[in-house]
Amino acid sequence: MNMTSGSLDNAPRPFGTVLVANRGEIAVRVLQAAREAGLRGIAVYSDADASSLHIEVADDAVHLPGSTLAETYLNSEALISAAGDCGAEAIHPGYGFLSERADFAIAVEDAGLVWIGPPSGAISTMGDKISARIRMLESGVPVIPGEELSVPDGADHLGALAACAARVGYPLLLKASAGGGGKGMRAVHEPKMLRTEYEAASREASAAFGDGTIYVERLLSGARHVEVQILADSHGNCIHLNERDCSLQRRHQKVIEESPSPAVDHQLRQAMGNAAVTAAKAVDYIGAGTVEFMLSPKGDFYFLEMNTRLQVEHPVTEMTTGIDLVQKQFEVAAGLQLGMEQSDVGMSGHAIEARIYAEDASKGFLPVVGRLALWKPPHGPGIRVDSGVRQGDVVTTDFDPMLAKLVVHAPTRQAALRRLDAALADLVALGVTTNIGFLRNAAAHHAFASGSVTTEFLDSAPISEFAEPGADPAVLVAIASAAQRLGIERTPSDGASGSVDEHTGHSGDPFRTLSRSFP
Amino acid sequence: MDWSVGEESGRYTVVLNDSGGALRLSSVQHDGMETDSPEISITRDDHHGRLRVEIAGTLRLAHVAKVGDSWWIHLDGRIHVVRAREPGNAGTEPSEGSLSAPMPGTVLEVHIKEGQRVRKGQTLVVLEAMKMEHRIQAPKAGEVTELHFSVGDRVDMGEILVQISD
Repeated sequence: MNMTSGSLDNAPRPFGTVLVANRGEIAVRVLQAAREAGLRGIAVYSDADASSLHIEVADDAVHLPGSTLAETYLNSEALISAAGDCGAEAIHPGYGFLSERADFAIAVEDAGLVWIGPPSGAISTMGDKISARIRMLESGVPVIPGEELSVPDGADHLGALAACAARVGYPLLLKASAGGGGKGMRAVHEPKMLRTEYEAASREASAAFGDGTIYVERLLSGARHVEVQILADSHGNCIHLNERDCSLQRRHQKVIEESPSPAVDHQLRQAMGNAAVTAAKAVDYIGAGTVEFMLSPKGDFYFLEMNTRLQVEHPVTEMTTGIDLVQKQFEVAAGLQLGMEQSDVGMSGHAIEARIYAEDASKGFLPVVGRLALWKPPHGPGIRVDSGVRQGDVVTTDFDPMLAKLVVHAPTRQAALRRLDAALADLVALGVTTNIGFLRNAAAHHAFASGSVTTEFLDSAPISEFAEPGADPAVLVAIASAAQRLGIERTPSDGASGSVDEHTGHSGDPFRTLSRSFP
Repeated sequence: MDWSVGEESGRYTVVLNDSGGALRLSSVQHDGMETDSPEISITRDDHHGRLRVEIAGTLRLAHVAKVGDSWWIHLDGRIHVVRAREPGNAGTEPSEGSLSAPMPGTVLEVHIKEGQRVRKGQTLVVLEAMKMEHRIQAPKAGEVTELHFSVGDRVDMGEILVQISD
């Protein structure tokens, strides 16, 4: 590429060099987008990442000394001074790490750098559950019905509670206001159980947090997790890019995401999209963000939270709308207009993302370590792999165990499911236990295939429903024995040199596309 | 070489015959018992880390990688791990310096004498069973204190062949 000038040269706040304050697949994704935009991309890395893929795709890389995350990827001073050292004019935070820290956004701008993210005020308002809820209520965005119950000692607890519960409605959830981690959380399905559960919740809350204040919230069961991608510029334009359905979760960890949601029709999409735009405007949002909703079985939706950053699952939106969200982040941060209106946002086909983790589903999803002796991502029409690793890399417990995201796009959900299954089957990851088999089984499960899973599905289904089908052991031991005899070995350093090719997908292997259908 | 599949502790013994560059599966034993197996023929592939596996007349491509003592196998869209097991120890725990026959067979070669010092990994005895050779190697350095068989003897599975002590 011999691009001599960047795409942002004529923007109100132009920048030519961007530092990506992150690692792994999202750093790779953003650095590749920077290159496309004609920007210089700067990577940062800690000792544990000294030979990681994201450094390879950067134009330059700055070492972050120290051994802990606090000293490296969470060290705002070190990151800002790294930006100064290498002449970066902008910082992209990726997701996780410092991406939702208002003080980091402020520090970046105070250093005279362009912050590729929303204003710090939007981050802090949305980062606090209480202030976010209040702002949403004021703006008319539906929130889960609920009230805080603060009863001074000696007052009529139960009378106040019963009145509050009646306003919120049954079934309801009693939560410790100071809480978290399920402590002091009690479900109440009928009024006669209110007193017992309240006393239990209050005791737990006082014991755990030293604060017995209780929050009463409507209990939503059988809900889906549906979120709306929004984009806003600094000129007052704000649009939504349809929804993503992330109902397939394991302990609040998203496993498979898709767009559009099988539970959302055109009318609901408009309603949720409008609510998301309202939510974003309520905090003067700029950039790419996601408004998360709970969608009840009856079709009511409630604001959950807003993620003021790029999401892991952003590719499914990119595949179905054709809009590159990272490029839009660059443009908006540089002060450009969105250049599109709501009516310009299309929705083509169906996209599904599966998160590839180094974990052992048969052992309680324990993260595993090891060396990726063989790593061959699938490729073909409608297949995208956003990867942070390459063949020969060592997977450690230093960081999140996500290795890559496999995203497929096809004209229909049915076709996308078939493509996902074929692509997962084609993904060769040897040397480290992964969840690839689990993902295939989960996606093929009738509950998911029929589009009817709720956020409770994975945690309530027995793991045996996703067990790997065994192969004929005679065949397997014959292959192992033959491989041994034929001396098929891979040295650990194999693949390190050709690794960029392995990652981006090398050219033709006819066998790998033979089994794929092209609907 | 014995093998175990996945987390299972059962031992498999494989006999492959070389027929014109292709390795044909001759027999598989599971814990000493002959088991049914399809017709399998395995050849090298031009791609590194890949084998051509013909199972009952149908060609498949298997990606393989050796990590430690295990072979990782990608076959038909699923990933499997086959562990190599030291021959000579029928139990799950390797017993101290006691080497037993992994299968019934015939002693083909004996490379040691009683009282001889051996180094770790040294081949002590070669067994022939199911037309395949199995090398019995020293699991540790030490002295051969007992040698129970000589060339041509028949041995049953689990019989102690050699005893080594520090």
